[in-house]
Amino acid sequence: MNKRKILQLGIALLVCGWLVSGYQSGSQAQRRTTAATAAQRALINDYCVSCHNQKTKTAGIVLEGLDFNRVANNAEVWEKVLRKVSTGQMPPASAPKPEKKEAAALVAWLESTLDHADAVNPQPGRPTIHRLNRAEYSNAVRDLLAVDIQPGQWLPVDDSGHGFDNIGEVLSLSPALLEKYLSAARRVSRLAIGDKTIKPTEDRYLPRRNSRNEKTSDDLPFFSRGGLSFQHYFPLDGEYLIRVRTPSNGETGEPTRFFDHKLTVKAGLRSVGAAYPRQSAKAEPAVPGPRRPGGGAPPAMGAVANQPLDLRLDGARLQRFEIPETTSVEMIIVSGPFNATGRGETASRAKVFSCRPASALASTGEEATCAKQILTKLARRAFRRPVNEADVTPLLAFYERGRQAGEFDDGIQRALEAMLVAPDFLLRVETEPAGNRLNTAFRLNDLDLAARLSFFLWSSIPDEELLSLAEQRKLQDAATLQYQIRRMLDDPRAEALVNNFAGQWLQLRNLETITPDPDVYPGFDESLKLAFRRETELFFESILRENRSVMDLLEADYTYLNQKLAEHYGIRGVYGAQFRRVSLTAEQQTQRSGLLGQGSLLTVTSYPNRTSVVMRGKWILENLLGAAPPPPPPDIPDLKPKSHDGRLLTMREQLDMHRANAVCASCHARMDPLGFALENYDGIGKWRTKDAGQPIDASGKLPNGTKLNGPSELKKVLLTGHRDEFVATVIEKLMTYALGRGLEAHDAPSIRAIARQTEREQFRLPALIASVINSKPFQMRQAEPVKGTKTL
Amino acid sequence: MMITKKAISRRALLRGMGVTLALPMLDAMTPALTAAAKPAVRLGFVYVPNGIIMDKWTPASEGADFVFKSTMKPLEKFREHLNVFSGLAQVQGRALGDGAGDHARAGATWLTGAHPKKSEVTIRAGISVDQVAAQALREHTQFGSLELGIESNQLAGGCDSGYSCAYTNTIAWRNATTPLPVENNPRAIFERLFGEGDSTDAASRLALMDSQRSILDYVNSGIKRLNAKVGARDRVKLAEYTDAIRDIERRIQKAEQQSATMKLPVMERPNAVPDEFEDHVRLVMDLQVLAYQSDLTRVITLMMAREGSNRPYRNLGISDGHHNITHHQNDPDKIAKVTKINEVHVKLFAYLLDKLKATPDGEGNLLDNSLIVYGSSICDGNLHTHHDLPIVLAGGGGGQVKGNKHVMLPKETPLNNLLLSMLDKAGVAVDKVGDSTGKLDCLA
Repeated sequence: MNKRKILQLGIALLVCGWLVSGYQSGSQAQRRTTAATAAQRALINDYCVSCHNQKTKTAGIVLEGLDFNRVANNAEVWEKVLRKVSTGQMPPASAPKPEKKEAAALVAWLESTLDHADAVNPQPGRPTIHRLNRAEYSNAVRDLLAVDIQPGQWLPVDDSGHGFDNIGEVLSLSPALLEKYLSAARRVSRLAIGDKTIKPTEDRYLPRRNSRNEKTSDDLPFFSRGGLSFQHYFPLDGEYLIRVRTPSNGETGEPTRFFDHKLTVKAGLRSVGAAYPRQSAKAEPAVPGPRRPGGGAPPAMGAVANQPLDLRLDGARLQRFEIPETTSVEMIIVSGPFNATGRGETASRAKVFSCRPASALASTGEEATCAKQILTKLARRAFRRPVNEADVTPLLAFYERGRQAGEFDDGIQRALEAMLVAPDFLLRVETEPAGNRLNTAFRLNDLDLAARLSFFLWSSIPDEELLSLAEQRKLQDAATLQYQIRRMLDDPRAEALVNNFAGQWLQLRNLETITPDPDVYPGFDESLKLAFRRETELFFESILRENRSVMDLLEADYTYLNQKLAEHYGIRGVYGAQFRRVSLTAEQQTQRSGLLGQGSLLTVTSYPNRTSVVMRGKWILENLLGAAPPPPPPDIPDLKPKSHDGRLLTMREQLDMHRANAVCASCHARMDPLGFALENYDGIGKWRTKDAGQPIDASGKLPNGTKLNGPSELKKVLLTGHRDEFVATVIEKLMTYALGRGLEAHDAPSIRAIARQTEREQFRLPALIASVINSKPFQMRQAEPVKGTKTL
Repeated sequence: MMITKKAISRRALLRGMGVTLALPMLDAMTPALTAAAKPAVRLGFVYVPNGIIMDKWTPASEGADFVFKSTMKPLEKFREHLNVFSGLAQVQGRALGDGAGDHARAGATWLTGAHPKKSEVTIRAGISVDQVAAQALREHTQFGSLELGIESNQLAGGCDSGYSCAYTNTIAWRNATTPLPVENNPRAIFERLFGEGDSTDAASRLALMDSQRSILDYVNSGIKRLNAKVGARDRVKLAEYTDAIRDIERRIQKAEQQSATMKLPVMERPNAVPDEFEDHVRLVMDLQVLAYQSDLTRVITLMMAREGSNRPYRNLGISDGHHNITHHQNDPDKIAKVTKINEVHVKLFAYLLDKLKATPDGEGNLLDNSLIVYGSSICDGNLHTHHDLPIVLAGGGGGQVKGNKHVMLPKETPLNNLLLSMLDKAGVAVDKVGDSTGKLDCLA
């Protein structure tokens, strides 16, 4: 209390002091400002306006006639100038340049002027209404109802913009999507309460195309190999049939066979698996999948031996089948429920039914009271705010209808079904304070701030702790907020940042859609693809969880490998299918240190049958340096595959010729050298020293004259000469994702502020995240910009 | 652990094999019955990306009895139902000062004739012709239109030189700012058409619809409440909801009306996406024919692949991406590969026409009563040209359109003129659509 008072007094004094001194030296300061402005005006006129004038408008930028006293009015242009001049991209190499000191003074002046304008008049932006995307829907349903089956997968893929699929403006809604929301709500609510009328279904699970004979899942015993394991949701207590199917084989005359196991299962999410016990490993059994090399002696006719296969439920063995050694598991089919005996005691039911009517003979009034309690509780979480009569009454009407047609639980199901498509659940709408003046910035209320927090860090709704703090308006308190950020980052749900933020920033999701040409890359298969993704996920997660610097993303002395991936990378001594942290020797670090040595990234930036220097260079510019090249101009001349004398040209020679064209050179001079530095990695990230018989040349020269050769030098260049751009880019990506909107010029001062704040903390990722949360764009919102639109 | 989870989420889609669902009976619902005189015209728009190798496509002579070039050969048996066009253009697909991005503009213009805005975020093109038709014809059917595709719609973000993936992922635009996603999963298409209730029994299907309707009412009132609280830009978003709600309500109403006349034979619903491209296309086409046949909709777009698709056709021995090799730079080997891809697309189109022809409809068959346009919004994939487009029109339009013609139109005739004429034959009266300048008078 005392402390607080002193602090308040201190702040008041500080503010007064600033005001007084500002007042006293006003005219002096103004004179100084005018002098500084004149110098900057002269600099711009001398070095920039010859291209960026009203007539030529080079690159659409006009620097002629700008008001140097009201820089904030042209923030968009000035931010561009700031970026181009501070990174040395402007003036271009061919044009006269100001002295370094002069350029630095311009940069400093622009920064302080723009930052000051932002401090006086912040413009935090105005994210559009945001509907839950697939990941958010899945997580929200999981956290609300404990139905952990990722129902978002039933929805169509979300459109994305600015590199992410959580951008409110871009997330549109079509009738087809609304239909899917309706159908998902029905399925989820029926599973949540255990609807007795759920009919038997048949689900098929296929093993992935795996070229190794190893343990395939953490859900299977250590001494097992092959087979598959999956999570299956058993909707009711009842009988289920699990069938293991082995394929027909034309060569051996083996017919399709089924190995059946019928059993009674309690409702809920369980793991089902089938695998060969390890000790039975004799000859390598066939590799599943059609692309089977013809190696190995044909089996002796009529003497096909059997091998044991264990069928497991939640790790416990259900049955041991003897299946022919020449075949393999083609799929597992789970069907049921048959003869359902009850709704079961599932996590979902425990979560939903916070009360029960006293007995089966409970009065209608008693039931209604309980229903109201259940729905009030769930609606509060689903809508992320305290609920009132107006919210609960319509839900109770659904309950009544369902209750009339069935049991108490069926009434709740109906109400849940409606709740899951309620706009208050599916849409994130931020509240405008009453009487707010147009176009002014205001602080978000605690509930909206809580929602921004949880959707940023968890891609989900706030949990009980966060929501009740928000209801008590305690998030306004800085210490409470900081504690919550820490708590949320430590929570397992922060894995959403890995899946959704890193997954999109680093394009891990694109791995799903790539298909390297098996003729060029016979070593590539489904499990390598998964290993690529897993490595980068675990690596990013370690940076987050271990409070590491984002610089470690580019250079680290460890990574995460399993045997498959280690062999792909040529690293010895890693055995088995499970991933573990592996320290890299100095020599290994030259090849595999940091993101740029990881198969995931190197593969998504390649063509199916060759590497792409341009795609890799562009990826680095766009995602690490925040300097996306403009789209290519019209009438691009084709690459010339042959020289004048008819000799076939290498890709490097073709691109050299391409760069000889000045228009192409302006971008390719920046992209290509970055991409060439990674040429030692082939199209699936394997290290190579030769390509098509020619030794790899991984050298290049950046437009500013910096020479680089190979990945190690590339990393050095990025981390030293371009450190500030890299950090700013990470902040920009985080902020875009956190806000769910594209960034604008008026966000730049906040980005600079975050960079300055976090430099003291070595740019640790959690510090970056906390600073984004503490920034004005995150905590504030711009009021409606134009007057009179309310009447529309 | 996470790996397992991912693998499952994909596989969990394969649930429910062997579950059978009812199909509304075919003839019982044909519109021919409602107005015995004139059969309903079905419209179809089948898109192929990246242009076509034209010297294997365009017939040499004009008018009737032209000789089919090799790529178009599979269509020869439908000669009497076929009009081949030369000279059509989609000039809004050109850069017009916007620089690179011809694939995005091709997809965005094919049915709109509107120059798309170059952006990865604020997308804008124009309403597409299929949607003009859908809005006029939806009163007769449960669905205004269907948007079908083959490639997964997983791509999001920017796809071509600063253009949103929306421009290449779809050819159907509900309005200038709402691209309609294509559905490529046969099972999802089936469920959309025939419902996913557990029972084939009409009463329980109706009960399901009734419950859906009350939920929609609830959603609607929620939207209204929000509307009063938010700013102008957000209200535009909310309007998307209101539109979607209205659309579904209308469909429910239609389904309730039609359920009285439905006969319900049992048909197994497809379970998954077939592995092979050609099997996948044929299955989607089967569903397309089914939808026409049971008059669930009269307007269907089908993208054989997204524009700019780089799918390798390994079953044809082509491991390079389709888009890559269309930039063939006159390399005969690449041209031969592209031609092979062109041929397989046409062969699949012939499969669709075969099925339509084999399906009785009114006095004749579905092909007699359809107008299905096939083609691309790029002519030469190597040079990205948007004129002299490869376009054929199949079907008799209910006796209004005569086939066996190679129509050579004046250069730069807007493709939208042909599309406008199709609307006209389908009884959709509009004067202008996109950049059209008038109807073609050469169809009869």
